[in-house]
Amino acid sequence: MSRVELKQLRKSYGAVEVMKGIDLVVEPGEFCVFVGPSGCGKSTLLRMIAGLEEQTSGQIEIAGRDVSFDEPSKRGIAMVFQSYALYPHLSVRDNIGFGLSLARRPKAEIRQKVDAVGEILQLGPFMDRKPKALSGGQRQRVAIGRAIVRDPQVFLFDEPLSNLDAALRSQMRLELTELHARLGATMIYVTHDQVEAMTMADKIVVMNAGRIEQVGTPMELYQRPATPFVAGFIGSPRMNLFDGDVARRMGCDVYGIRPEHLLISESDGRWTGQVRHVERLGADTILHLDVPELGALVARTDGNCSFHPGQVVQASPQPDMEFFYAAPG
Amino acid sequence: MKRRQYVIGAVSFAVAFVIFVIPFIFVVINAMKSAAESARLDFRLPQKWQFWQNLTDVVQARDYMLLLAYFNSTVITVGAVTLLVIFGALVGYVLQRRPSRFSSFVYAFVLTGLMIPPAVVPTIWVLQEINLFKTLHGMILIQVAYGLGFTVLLYRAFIASIPRDLDEAAIVDGARPLQVFFRVILPLLEPVTVTVIVVQSIAIFNDFTHPLYYLPGRENVTVQLTLYNFQSQFVSQMNLLFMNILLVTIPPLIVFIFFNRQIVAGMTSGAVKG
Amino acid sequence: MKRKSHYPYWFMLPAISVFFVLFIVPTLASLYFSLTIWDPFEARFSGFENYVQFFSEPFLVRGVVNTVGFAIVTCVLKTILGLLLAVLLTSGVWGQGLLRSIVFFPVLVSTIGVGLLFQEMMHPTQGAINVALSWIGINGPGWLTNPSLALFSVALVDVWRGVGLATLIYIAGLATISPDYYEAARIDGATRLQQFWRVTVPLVWPATTTVVMLSLISGLRLFDLVWAMTRGGPGFSSDVLASVIYKQYQSGFWGLSTAGNVILFIMIAVIIAPLTYWFNKREVES
Repeated sequence: MSRVELKQLRKSYGAVEVMKGIDLVVEPGEFCVFVGPSGCGKSTLLRMIAGLEEQTSGQIEIAGRDVSFDEPSKRGIAMVFQSYALYPHLSVRDNIGFGLSLARRPKAEIRQKVDAVGEILQLGPFMDRKPKALSGGQRQRVAIGRAIVRDPQVFLFDEPLSNLDAALRSQMRLELTELHARLGATMIYVTHDQVEAMTMADKIVVMNAGRIEQVGTPMELYQRPATPFVAGFIGSPRMNLFDGDVARRMGCDVYGIRPEHLLISESDGRWTGQVRHVERLGADTILHLDVPELGALVARTDGNCSFHPGQVVQASPQPDMEFFYAAPG
Repeated sequence: MKRRQYVIGAVSFAVAFVIFVIPFIFVVINAMKSAAESARLDFRLPQKWQFWQNLTDVVQARDYMLLLAYFNSTVITVGAVTLLVIFGALVGYVLQRRPSRFSSFVYAFVLTGLMIPPAVVPTIWVLQEINLFKTLHGMILIQVAYGLGFTVLLYRAFIASIPRDLDEAAIVDGARPLQVFFRVILPLLEPVTVTVIVVQSIAIFNDFTHPLYYLPGRENVTVQLTLYNFQSQFVSQMNLLFMNILLVTIPPLIVFIFFNRQIVAGMTSGAVKG
Repeated sequence: MKRKSHYPYWFMLPAISVFFVLFIVPTLASLYFSLTIWDPFEARFSGFENYVQFFSEPFLVRGVVNTVGFAIVTCVLKTILGLLLAVLLTSGVWGQGLLRSIVFFPVLVSTIGVGLLFQEMMHPTQGAINVALSWIGINGPGWLTNPSLALFSVALVDVWRGVGLATLIYIAGLATISPDYYEAARIDGATRLQQFWRVTVPLVWPATTTVVMLSLISGLRLFDLVWAMTRGGPGFSSDVLASVIYKQYQSGFWGLSTAGNVILFIMIAVIIAPLTYWFNKREVES
């Protein structure tokens, strides 16, 4: 259990700055998720913490120690890669024990530690197989096992679930959360999937273009997104965002309202519009409206509502659920 | 399969047989004849089969020179191929993993060896200066230098297919650069290494030109050199010349039968999209 | 403070030092030595004398001309035959696996062995080729004894030996062409011949590039086959640059021999560089 602190971390390739001064504290035992669109720098940031990429300037502290220029293996971290990066020529047992064997630990000790990890992850029957003979979920577990056996102060996960199918992914989400509860270790987790971020994180770090947009708990980000970018990124369907003249009429630079915070009725409301398209999801219905005053507007209503394309309806924002931003993000 | 394909196949076989197979049959038949019979250079079957006698005659000729030649050729081939595998894999690894100006420069440099013929006389001068002229280890290093381009080409292309994540996982696990290479990368290079070994062994074993220049002298004779020298010696003993040709043809034939796939892979992967 | 790379350049040190000392140094040195009168005892600077000699002595000029001719003839034959054989051997004919092996095997056989074998088979009176020709009433030529035919005969043997490699490369190239193209062409009503010219030839272009380059370079550099079959004879009629280089070296004219080497580099560069450019351009366009 250790604290991770980043101070004014920057990275540039030639004249292009891809990491623009990151300051962040991850508290001991916290499950912290970096989330953002692809290319926002979240993986680069994780790899800088791991020591696989070198920062141009700034400082990284793990457990109070400046590790900015330490080798990855000396930082007290373990990493689970997106591709799992299992050594194809080694058995599951040797994959998990590889780091210990490099460190020339006694054979008996390696065996005992590896077996213990196999136990935790229920890999017992597969210990002598090669990675090729395992399913995606089993490979994932081996990759996690290789991290656990190092007994790290911080676990780093780089989009570890993106190669799994949807069903397995939600199962692994649960397992990872349980693992975190059991080990109590600090974990930093990178994903582009806001569902993973919302369901697993103690703390979410939303990144965009090499900068941190906002840091907070999942509900904080949902309820009080600090910027239009965060507002648009967290929540599904996406928040309706308007800039330009529409926003100016509302007295701000960007105006936002979530689809689930719109009340739709046939009789009265703030805006009048026409239903263009109806998406029925069962529990909910998503309405796509053309509102002359605003433009396109998306709203969420009950599953069994009776709206149909072409119908003229009224839409109103719920009180206190509107967002007014100065200066567009 | 259609009837047409049988017919075309059969015709092709007939043509291929005449053009490509008969010359080898010619070698086999004449390698078993007596000296007088083989002098006629024809396709008649031997009246007297004397395989063993011709074989022992060839082997014993010039004081067992052929055995010495096989020994020398084997030493050169094994030595050079061993070095090529390790050196070539290391170069291909760094060049692929560390893209930089310097790497591109080195790569272009190494590939010139595929195109430019070696400057032979100045090479002899260099070999003399460093006391490697007329030595087997000098010849081994020459073959390493000449085979490096193709070997690096093969390794670099293959290493590109090994995910970098593997190196990084090993680095996080605490592996030093040499450990990453020898414990993670090298074991994964097995398929391309087999190809390199087979293709380079055949090339080096069959090389005539470079031993001719850099390994003059009786004690350093190689298989191809003896074959060439026997020609003038066996003017009246064609049977022995053909036996000798047969003996140099058999090793590649055996290699070809066992490693057909790897040879094809090597020849084409180096070639298509070079 | 910069951390060390995990891919240190010193990994390349052993290979590069061997390559540098035994390949690059001699190549650079050859530029100087080609300008000297050099023999086993001394090297005396003589300017361009060796080059002048190379382009004025008829037998040396012959070597240069022969080299180019040999490379072009073998390259054209290997390319055309290689493509045709590859098309045949991917069309699903009976026994195509074995046929591929038969065509390819000579590539692996010792060049000296092949040279000596054909030297015997091309014997003007007793040789197997002329004996076979006499059965059908043809009076075979003196393949290697006729000065105007000798180099061509060597070229034929080089094609015999090397066409398997060209075929193999073309087979690999053909394998990358999706059958969809042929089906689309058939639906458009293309005949077999049209399919060959309009689909196969353009789509197999990268393989053509490789085959042409490889066979040109190996044709320009060829030494062992000529040496085993004719030693450049009769007279100097089948001499190529590589055999001239060897002969001049043997006779102690090291400077002249080295000048031959430099001419060979330049020739390869002059022929290959524009070809590479042209091939790449066509590849991008198509």
